[in-house]
This record gives sequence, structure tokens and C-alpha cells, in this order.
Amino acid sequence: MPQEIDVSLVHVTKKFGDLVAVDDVSFEVPKGSFFSILGPSGSGKTTVLRMIAGFETPTSGDIYIGGERVNDVPPNKRRCNMVFQRLALFPMMDVLGNVTFGLRRRGGMSKAEMERLARKALERVGLQGLGRRKINQISGGQQQRVALARSLVLDPTVLLLDEPLGSLDLKLRQDMKLELKHLQARMGTTFVYITHDQTIALAMSDTIAVINRGKIEQIASPEELYRRPATHFVASFVGENNKLEGGRLVRMRDAQVCEVDFGGILMSGRMGEPLSPGDTVDLFIRPEMISLRPGRHENGFPGKIEEINFDGSHSLIVVNLLEGRAPITINVKLQHTEQAPEVAAGDLVTLSWRWDAANAFRSPTGKEA
Amino acid sequence: MHLSTRFRRGQRLWLLLLPTLLWIGLLFVLPHIKLFLLSFMDRRSGAFTLANYAAFFNSSLYRNVFVRTTTFSIVTTLLTLFISFPAAFIITKVLGRKMKALALIAIVLPYWVSELIQAFTWMILFRETGVLSYLLQYLGITHHNIEFLYHNSTIVVGLVYTSLLFMTIPIINSLDTLDDSLIEAAYDLGGDFWSTMREIIIPHAAPGIMVGSIMVFMLNLGNYVTVTLLGGKNSLWFTESIYNQFIVRFNQNQGAAFGVILLTFSVLFVWIVLKITKQDLTEAM
Repeated sequence: MPQEIDVSLVHVTKKFGDLVAVDDVSFEVPKGSFFSILGPSGSGKTTVLRMIAGFETPTSGDIYIGGERVNDVPPNKRRCNMVFQRLALFPMMDVLGNVTFGLRRRGGMSKAEMERLARKALERVGLQGLGRRKINQISGGQQQRVALARSLVLDPTVLLLDEPLGSLDLKLRQDMKLELKHLQARMGTTFVYITHDQTIALAMSDTIAVINRGKIEQIASPEELYRRPATHFVASFVGENNKLEGGRLVRMRDAQVCEVDFGGILMSGRMGEPLSPGDTVDLFIRPEMISLRPGRHENGFPGKIEEINFDGSHSLIVVNLLEGRAPITINVKLQHTEQAPEVAAGDLVTLSWRWDAANAFRSPTGKEA
Repeated sequence: MHLSTRFRRGQRLWLLLLPTLLWIGLLFVLPHIKLFLLSFMDRRSGAFTLANYAAFFNSSLYRNVFVRTTTFSIVTTLLTLFISFPAAFIITKVLGRKMKALALIAIVLPYWVSELIQAFTWMILFRETGVLSYLLQYLGITHHNIEFLYHNSTIVVGLVYTSLLFMTIPIINSLDTLDDSLIEAAYDLGGDFWSTMREIIIPHAAPGIMVGSIMVFMLNLGNYVTVTLLGGKNSLWFTESIYNQFIVRFNQNQGAAFGVILLTFSVLFVWIVLKITKQDLTEAM
């Protein structure tokens, strides 16, 4: 059965003068899914969102919402609504006035019916009984919910969210993150969420599109993105990583696995892109995927613990590899489980990891270390 | 916070207000007390009398001049608002940074010239042998001189012109603080130009509109130079009546009564308008 597509961009490019903000971007958002666009600031993600909302027009390419081409449809006629970064609630109205604003514009409904729908929307986001409050009389978290209710009450085909959790403090952000995900699952509305915060994107999304310099780097599920990054940028941007720079690809073991020489130390890794022997490559290794055993062992890389940084549930252990011509430092994330080895700074240890915990990409600088 | 409490404890903070207090006290409060007292005195004997006020209320001429002045001030204020608001909106929300600066300079520049000179330049433009009259004849629209001065409409045009700045600047200030994303949000939720204007932009700009309207109304009500020069002897403006009592007829007491009436009425009027529009003066100012 073909999946229904709520939003699709087809070869969309947006130029501001000479600046190419969005460069030939295409993607499809399936109905009812939570789709995130993840990228650093200035990557063009906001422009993508504003084009979907209708505040910017693509220089070329087409945008479809619910199967309809919307390039020439103004924002107030599109079946999508946006939750703004700074929320943009209307301070001149009370909470209920904000939530009924869209309904009043749509018309064809009695005042009582509008208020009933608005109260239902407020209830859904956990704000029952606050309808008569002024916007400046409610907390930041409550304002977030009003902004959500104001859009959701219109039952949009797609809800666009411009990093609305960014302004909240950490604890509230964690709570809202889960709540937003549950709300989305419950209502089945398609969400397009843009953020520079990968923890938010990884935790909430069904699909993430990573965007950099106006180009899509990879579109994948959070797990795929984390485990099998498709580009050098994704590997360095998403999640923590040890980045070993400037190794020389010695040989390929098979179609997936290559061996890379870092100053005499031979490491194997998964090829994130097609590579050939002689290439200069960077190797990305997840700190939590490395196993650390006290003492010297065969099969692994001997090293010495430089320092240990305690961080609650785990410790970050900085290890200097012993062999090799140039110094190599690797961070290891050690979970504090019952089986976790007791180690101290200065201890000799052996590090090892599965080949697919390491991802190899062609070095963008091409310089060998 | 900390700084001000320390100042307050030292009781030196009020010193900063002293020049303003002196200024207002000596140049505003004292003369007005004198004016108030004068208005209740008989011209010759100096005894208490209500005759000066009775003269106003018994004379249809003075009453009419007063009503006329007020009506024209209100009309002018509304006209100024209708011209200024779109201009302020374009300047704050449509123009880029450079164009905005240029537009602001264009608005302020004419006010570097004194009101008197402004009025004279308008006279050059509008008099019977003036530029406008000549232009119309040159274009063949008329064949004889036309006097544009000394009409009601000339007074209104002149007053609107002298008022524009005082309406535009407060509105620009209040629109400047309107987050553009509020306008975008209104559009996003299905709003069109008029509903966004009515529900978002105008309510946000209301304090600026109030300040501008109050200032312009007061300035018009108390205007003398522009009105007299453009309206001539028949301008029938209330300030002219006051001037005539003080200067032409040497009747200080009558003039004082007119002055008190004008002041009382304008304060009352502004207060009523604020009440009706549910604006708070402290908020508006």
C-alpha cells in the first residue's frame, strides 16, 4: 500500500541575491509522521520551513501540501500552521482569544461552537480552565501549550514547528519533548519540526533530514542516522564521536569494511561512502561503543588512561593509545553498571570495538596526520 | 534597583527633578494660578465676579467660535491619523533599514523650519498671485487668479501639515515594538490584511495612536500662527479670541476666562476620550 504523503518538496531552491540558502532540496513527509529537519544555524532549515508555511517563495522547484501544489497559495490559505520560535502569541488577547483567532478567521461557526472547540484544544494540551488568563499571566511552558493549541484547533494537515522548545529551560524542555511526542502520536497530525538540537530530533522524530549549507545530507530514522551516518558532516554533527583524522586507507576487507592506518596503528571501520585504497579518511567512533578492559590484551589497542571525568550515570575516560608514531587520544564513555571495571588515571587498558562502531569518510581536508 | 534604593536613602534622587519642577512651577503653575484668579475678577474694581464666564456662555459668537475650533481640531486630528498611520506602518514594517532612515529624515526635515516660516511658504503657494494659482492658469485649467488662502480647507491642510510629525513619531515608536512574527502568525492562522490590522496591529499601536492624537489635538486647539496666517481674519479660532481680549481690547480678565475655559475643556475632552477607549494615560504616555 503506497503511503500517503502530506508534504513534499521537489527540487526546491531558494536564493537570496547571490546567496543560495536552500539548494535543490527534495523530501517527502508521510502522513501522520514526526519529521525533523536538523541542521546548524544558517543551514537553511528555517528557510525550508518558511517556504512550506508560505512566507518565502521558492526560486525554483515545487512544494506540495496534501497533494496540492502550493507555490502560489498565500500562507493564510494553506492547510498548515506554524508554531513560531518565539511563539508569537497575541498579547492583546486572552488565551481563549488566541486559540479562537484562526476559527474566527475561518468563520461559518457560532461563537459558542468556537469556544467549545478552543476549550477542547486547551484541554488536549493540559490547559483547562486557563482560557481567560492574559498571555503575560501564564508561564513559559503554558505559553508553549497555548501556541500548540492555537494551531492544532484548526486541525491542519501539517503542523510546522520552528524550534519552539529552544527558549525553555532544560528540565521543562525534557518534559515538553515527551509531551509533544505523545500529543503527536495521539492526534496523528503530521509534524515538521526544525531544530539545531540533535537530542530533541533523535528523541522525537520518526524521520530526520540533516541539512547543511542548504543541502540535505541524509534522510533517515534516528537510529539509522546515529549508527550509519551517510556523510562526513552527519557523522561529526549527530551525537558524540571520536574523530580520528587523516588516516590512510590501506585495503578493503570486503564491500563494507576497510582498514585504515593511523601512524602505524591499523583500525577497521565501516565505509560510510565509497572509498578506495590510498584515500585519506577520517574515522568516527562512538565513545559508548568502545569497550575498555584493564590491562593488556590481544585483539585491541593498548592505551593509558589520561584522565577520568565523572558524569553521574557514566564517566568519560580519556585514553592515549600507546602504539603508533603520532599521539592518538580516544574518549570512552563507561556506563556505571555493576560490571563496569574499576579504573584510575594512569592505568594501562585495552580498547576495542566492533568494526561497525567506526565509520570512515573521506577527509574533507585530505591532509594525512 | 540597588542603585536607586541607595540614592533614595540618601534622598538625593529628587534633586535630579528640581530643574523640571522649577520650570513647571514657575512657568506653568504660577502663571496659571494667576490666570485662574484673573478670570474671576472684575476688569475695573478687581472684585469677584462670574461676569467673564457669563460673557462667554451668553455670546453665541464666542460659543460658536469655540465649537468651531474644537470640531476643526478633531477633524484635523483624525485626518492626520489617517495620513500618519499608513506612513508609520510602511516605514516600520515594509521599508528596509536604509529607506527607513531616509523616510524618517524626510518626515523630520520640514520641522527644522519654524512654523512661522512654514506658514509663509504656504502663503506663497496659495495666495491669489501664488504658485498654485499660476500653475493652474499655465496649464489652462482656469483663466484668472484663484485665491486659495482664507478658506476652512486651507486651515485644515496647514494644521495637518504641522501636525504630521507629532502623530507619526509616536506611532512609529509603538509599531517598532511589534514583533513581525505576530503579523506572520496572524496570516498563518488564516488572517487577511484587514483582520490582522484590526485585531493585531492597531491594538498594539493603540498607545502610540493615543499619544499622537492627544498631542495633535492639543497643538491644533492651541494653534495660533498657522491658523491666523492661512485663515486670515475670518479664521475664527478660539486662540484668536483670547489674543484679541488680551492684546486688542486690553481685557485681561475676559481673556483669562477664555484661557481657563479652553484649558478645562481640553483636559476634560482628553480624559473622556481615554475613558471611552479604555486607555490608561500612564500606559499611553
